[in-house]
Amino acid sequence: MANKGYLVDTSKCIGCRGCVVACKQWNQLPAEKTRFQGTYQTVPDLTGNTLTMISFHEYEENGKMEWYFTKRQCMHCLEPACMKVCPQKAISVNENGAVVRDYDKCIGCQYCAAACPFNVPRYNKETDKETKCSLCTERTAEGELPACVKACITGALQYGDRDELLGVAKKRVGELRAEYPKANVYGEKEAGGTNILYVLADEPEKYGFESDPKVSTAIYAWQDIIKPYFPWLIALTGAVSVFSFFSTRLLGVGKEEAHEGESIDG
Amino acid sequence: MKVTRREFLKISGAAVATLPVLGFDLTPAMANAGEFRIKNIDPVPTICPYCGCGCGLVVYTADGKVINTEGDPDNPINQGSTCAKGASVFQLHDNPRRMRKPLYRAPYSDHWEEKEWDWVFKEIAKRVKKTRDETFITTEKVKSKDEAGAEKEIEIPVNRTDAIATLGGAALDNEECYLYSKLGRSLGLVYIEHCARL
Repeated sequence: MANKGYLVDTSKCIGCRGCVVACKQWNQLPAEKTRFQGTYQTVPDLTGNTLTMISFHEYEENGKMEWYFTKRQCMHCLEPACMKVCPQKAISVNENGAVVRDYDKCIGCQYCAAACPFNVPRYNKETDKETKCSLCTERTAEGELPACVKACITGALQYGDRDELLGVAKKRVGELRAEYPKANVYGEKEAGGTNILYVLADEPEKYGFESDPKVSTAIYAWQDIIKPYFPWLIALTGAVSVFSFFSTRLLGVGKEEAHEGESIDG
Repeated sequence: MKVTRREFLKISGAAVATLPVLGFDLTPAMANAGEFRIKNIDPVPTICPYCGCGCGLVVYTADGKVINTEGDPDNPINQGSTCAKGASVFQLHDNPRRMRKPLYRAPYSDHWEEKEWDWVFKEIAKRVKKTRDETFITTEKVKSKDEAGAEKEIEIPVNRTDAIATLGGAALDNEECYLYSKLGRSLGLVYIEHCARL
């Protein structure tokens, strides 16, 4: 089945945070106390109880104020690094391409958080699980929109086929280029491509994104090369010790005796 | 063949235990699909209480409890969307910090005390009646101009009291607000206010 995701058109976002509260409501997550940080951004960061948030970025360029909003949540990568590293195989990709977790299997080891190129999964102390957005799998399976997309007032969030949304995003970027020459689509190729696409009016860094997020090569080395052959390493170690046993006991007889003699005298 | 109760339990237990071995593993069917808790529940439309826009909301209830609130897709005002406040309507009903009893602060007192509804209603009725009786005015003299343009004083009916004010709250829904303003006007109140008046 075709990959499904949603498009975040940041040029249409007004920063009302309806999506954040709708997400909390649907997932029945408790509110958290936050402190004033000097900006309009009320949610400082994703947490174990906050699966999505809107970040606010203010810039002044040529005497003109630019105020960028963007939504942050799991990007639902096409090649999820979290799935690759999960020791419990608790993370999987469903038929719509959403990266979902089985919280019964999750042991809260936080390995996925370390592997995520977008720094998304968060640890929930109360449940001892690593949490993230599930793209409202239970809602989309019944033909409903994800909670955040349904709540969006301005149409900044659009749910649909990834391929179609990519076309919409590129068209929108073309329109934006007249006013914002650096407008771009984010998520098409970043970290191998994501199901959540963004239309950004400026460089990704200005929205708090990395322009070229990469999954650490150490993860590939460990998961693809070392780990599958780990049993062979044990066998190899065994073989070496057997070899050394024979080589020292049988071939190095003379030396062995000399050592023993020393220890008796000493 | 005659099967006793004990034997039947033994056999069925063994059958269930062998199912996964034979490949009848039921877990994949359940995997990944979280519970869709509003399945087969008819939503009840209502109006968001928070501001004057009057967005439509739908409320899903099961066993007398609110289990979900969302924007109403059929409502022409918001077409299913909600702002941050509208999306938070759920916690208006289901909130551990919600007051379960009326609080009363006596005049010159420095603390609130919990009271019973019976006492509160009687006390409100008693005090409203007393204040209204003392301050109710039926007519008032106002300055006006006659046809020739000369100033003169005329007496007009007003039927009001200036001594009582009411302040509604955003937790009241549309219908409650209607009743509340009707009550205020029937008592002859002028100062009828609400925080969500746009």
